[in-house]
Amino acid sequence: MTVPYLLRLLCVCMASFFLLHLTFALAVSAAAPLAIRRAERMRASAGARLLFLLRLLPPGLALVVVAAICAPSYLWLEPDASAEEVGLIFLTVALVGSALCAMAIGRALSAAVRSRRYLRDCPRLIESNAPILMLAGVLRPRLVVSRGVMGVLDHEQLVVALRHEWAHGVAHDNLKRLLLLAIPGVLPCMRGLRSIDRAWARMAEWAADDRAVGGSSNRSLALAAALVRVARMGPAAPAPALATSLMADPCDLEKRVDRLLDPAPSPEMPRAWVVSGAAFALALSAMAPQPATLRAAHRLLELLLH
Amino acid sequence: MMGHLEITVMEIVWAQGESSVHDVAQKLDRPLAYTTVMTTLDRLFKKGLLDRRKSERAFLYAPRLSRTEWERKRAGDFLAAFLAGPRPSGDLLISCLVDAVSEQDAALLDQLERRIRIKRKELDRRRKA
Repeated sequence: MTVPYLLRLLCVCMASFFLLHLTFALAVSAAAPLAIRRAERMRASAGARLLFLLRLLPPGLALVVVAAICAPSYLWLEPDASAEEVGLIFLTVALVGSALCAMAIGRALSAAVRSRRYLRDCPRLIESNAPILMLAGVLRPRLVVSRGVMGVLDHEQLVVALRHEWAHGVAHDNLKRLLLLAIPGVLPCMRGLRSIDRAWARMAEWAADDRAVGGSSNRSLALAAALVRVARMGPAAPAPALATSLMADPCDLEKRVDRLLDPAPSPEMPRAWVVSGAAFALALSAMAPQPATLRAAHRLLELLLH
Repeated sequence: MMGHLEITVMEIVWAQGESSVHDVAQKLDRPLAYTTVMTTLDRLFKKGLLDRRKSERAFLYAPRLSRTEWERKRAGDFLAAFLAGPRPSGDLLISCLVDAVSEQDAALLDQLERRIRIKRKELDRRRKA
């Protein structure tokens, strides 16, 4: 099939993005159990950061390779190919890649719109006995609390519970949720990626707990008591997608109380990981503009294109 | 459905991994005839719970499913059979499950509250000392 130059360039970008994303996502999915185990042994905020970065790695790296290597190589080595045949398989891959990206952007936009609507209609203090204490919204997050929660918690517990939600705001957890929603899906059977999402959400709660108590035993006990009291109020009301709730996952309650009662010292992210990540990024940025890299990428693209 | 002896034999094979009739017979709490153990292992093989391979003159048996997988399958089969029955029995099962989960939740919350109280007392005591 013959397609115009710009459309062909778009196809090259979308198909390369899809294939690279799939490859990186498969690697991350396979490494997920190990990464989650390592993250759980680190300080909660470092573990959450590691898992979040790992989740962003496949699309991020794919985007960088497409922008720094694939697109420039096509522009440089085929500047005036006015008419060129494109294989059907390549076109299909490009279409699938585009559809997945469009779906992800749609999902994120829809969540953002729903969250905005929720915040517009919802007062800060809800006249209800439901266990609601959450931070909703992305750019200007707002605390929402129900009269029931205010009545159940004493002053110290309420303060530390509010500090927990404020900690989510400081860590921009709702913005991170939005970014996770904007990551294109790859294969429905990739359990590893879903398990990273779940582990990140869990560790973000732990990190908010740690930041809320700030090493104080009194605040730890108050937050543990607040969690149990809110859990006694019954199942949590459905929250918008871009909100963090005090009782996000009732199944994690026991573990959270354990951590608050017996905090264990845990290390930061190993320095070697940070150094090797930076070295990899540096190597990639040094390699990308080299003519040899662009030529090799072009050969590969030609193979795919036809 | 598995009988008491079959469950005991499965426990041994799960714990030991690949085992011969002789290995299993030695691990049993009560002495049983070799042929009884052999028949039980054979029955478990025919039920699809064990794999077997010939090694020299004896069969070696290994579990086909892990304990967790087997328990999940058992729970799934039980639920499927119950829910396939008349509507009231399905509703009854769900209501029993909800009751059981609620009771367990309440017990867990009580236990967590007790631990928090003990920890607070400890903290107060340490502060006074």
